[in-house]
Amino acid sequence: MRVLAIAHNTFRESVRDKVLYVLLLFAALSIFGAKALGWISVGQDIKIVKDISLASISLFGVLVAIFVGTSLVYKEMDKRTLYTIISQPLHRYEFVLGKYVGLAAVLALVTAVMTLSSACYVLVLGGSLEAVYFLAAFLIFMKLLLVTAFALLLSSLSSPILGAIIVFCLYLFGHATGVFKDLPPQFEGTFAKQMLEVAYYVIPNLSNFDLRSEAANGVAVNPLFVVWVLIYGVSYSAVFLLLAAAAFQEKDL
Amino acid sequence: MNAIETSQLTKIYSGLGKKATRSLDHLSLSVQEGEIFGFLGRNGAGKTTTIKLLCSLLKPTSGEAFLFGQNARTRESRRLLGYLPEQPYFYEFLTPRETLDFYGKLRGLGSSERTRQWERLSELLDLKDIAHQRIKSFSKGMRQRIGFAVALVGDPPLLILDEPMSGLDPVGRRTIRELILRCRDEKKTIFFSSHVLADVELICDRVGILVRGQLTQCGRVDTLLGGHVDQVELVVRGIRAETQATLREQAEQHRILEDVEVFVLGSRAAANDAIRLVQSGGGEVVELHPIKARLEDYFMREQARHEEVPRGDVA
Repeated sequence: MRVLAIAHNTFRESVRDKVLYVLLLFAALSIFGAKALGWISVGQDIKIVKDISLASISLFGVLVAIFVGTSLVYKEMDKRTLYTIISQPLHRYEFVLGKYVGLAAVLALVTAVMTLSSACYVLVLGGSLEAVYFLAAFLIFMKLLLVTAFALLLSSLSSPILGAIIVFCLYLFGHATGVFKDLPPQFEGTFAKQMLEVAYYVIPNLSNFDLRSEAANGVAVNPLFVVWVLIYGVSYSAVFLLLAAAAFQEKDL
Repeated sequence: MNAIETSQLTKIYSGLGKKATRSLDHLSLSVQEGEIFGFLGRNGAGKTTTIKLLCSLLKPTSGEAFLFGQNARTRESRRLLGYLPEQPYFYEFLTPRETLDFYGKLRGLGSSERTRQWERLSELLDLKDIAHQRIKSFSKGMRQRIGFAVALVGDPPLLILDEPMSGLDPVGRRTIRELILRCRDEKKTIFFSSHVLADVELICDRVGILVRGQLTQCGRVDTLLGGHVDQVELVVRGIRAETQATLREQAEQHRILEDVEVFVLGSRAAANDAIRLVQSGGGEVVELHPIKARLEDYFMREQARHEEVPRGDVA
């Protein structure tokens, strides 16, 4: 009940925020503009529209997760709206969880709107849609949940700008974790190699959530892989949420 | 049972690269059930820190606080508490109705109970006309009324109010004063900090004075003031020049009004001596009236007395 009250409020605050609509507008422009790239590559236009649509869902979703997520707790501390909330009979972790669930609901809405509009666009262009397209969008949503949990942790610890930079770095490195593992031979035996190996195991591999090429080409995906990715995403999100709750628990407000 | 009990409550603020500062220093305080307690002190004296510790917004460095016997760090204790922060902030995108509903949910109230609370509090705080406007456009006085309503959601037996009258116009101050008195009539305990000493004097049963994080005085307003010498205003007529010179030396103030002279004397004993002097010199005592000590004067004396001691920052 208390978690849902906070989640509902977070959702309401976000959907009443103009920034969300500006981001959605940009996402729509990039999805509908994808046809222009399709003209360049003859016969590949539907594939390109699908590919760019999913990339747009991922990018604009992550922008919402970063910009809203990193300011979720910080803004409440800064504006002192937290005072009257934390002095209510609720556990602090309920507040953190409520903020997370609220933003997750916003992301679910944003992802759903973008997925459905891009799907309609593909159909209007005369393309066909397979289940893997929607599965790819769902895994992007799972990735956004993970990024949001990390953003929320940062929001409990740092200012929104610093938090946004760190989360964006996680997003970039998370899509290129292979680089940390496959180092050139001159790194052999160095401290840098050890550190990068640690980074490889600690930073979540966000490429796991990427089914763009499968979706563009209509290739089926092994269900076991999907289950594994779901467990992977939920585990990382849970760890980040636990850390966020722990960071907020003892915080002086 | 005491509504508030603190034992050696201490808060030291520290951070990386920052000098540690002792904001609250071994505060031991009791507030009885059903009383209005005024918590006084200058800016930075530790009033807000104390209030935040009571509301579990801060973690004490040492010591403990209890609300109705329950440790203030527990969730159960917060069920007994309604809190109005200094300059309360609420979600700007919500309306008063939505705001009270939100806090009702946080208190675990059911839908019908939340509606009942809205009916009661919107009536009490005159919120009905602005029920569906967003808080964004509200004045300070309106926000303070919403803050008070939020503090009363769930009908808690203890209200902790941080500077509830600061920045309000006389009408707003009067409204808050009347609300506090009304809450006392409903057997609630009210603990509030304030700079507006005239208001504190009007409505408080007891006061505590905090100087640099330490409680220097605590007691009933009349007892605290009664312990100090009242001033006496003596109005005389027809005194000789040498009597006037002697009286001017003894008096704290002297002024001449048409055919009478007014001397303000620092004690009743001084007044008695002055009267004898006037009468023996052939003068006439026209009026004699005590000037009741005011809380503000007492507060200023307490401040001056304790601020001579150097401040103790933590090494």
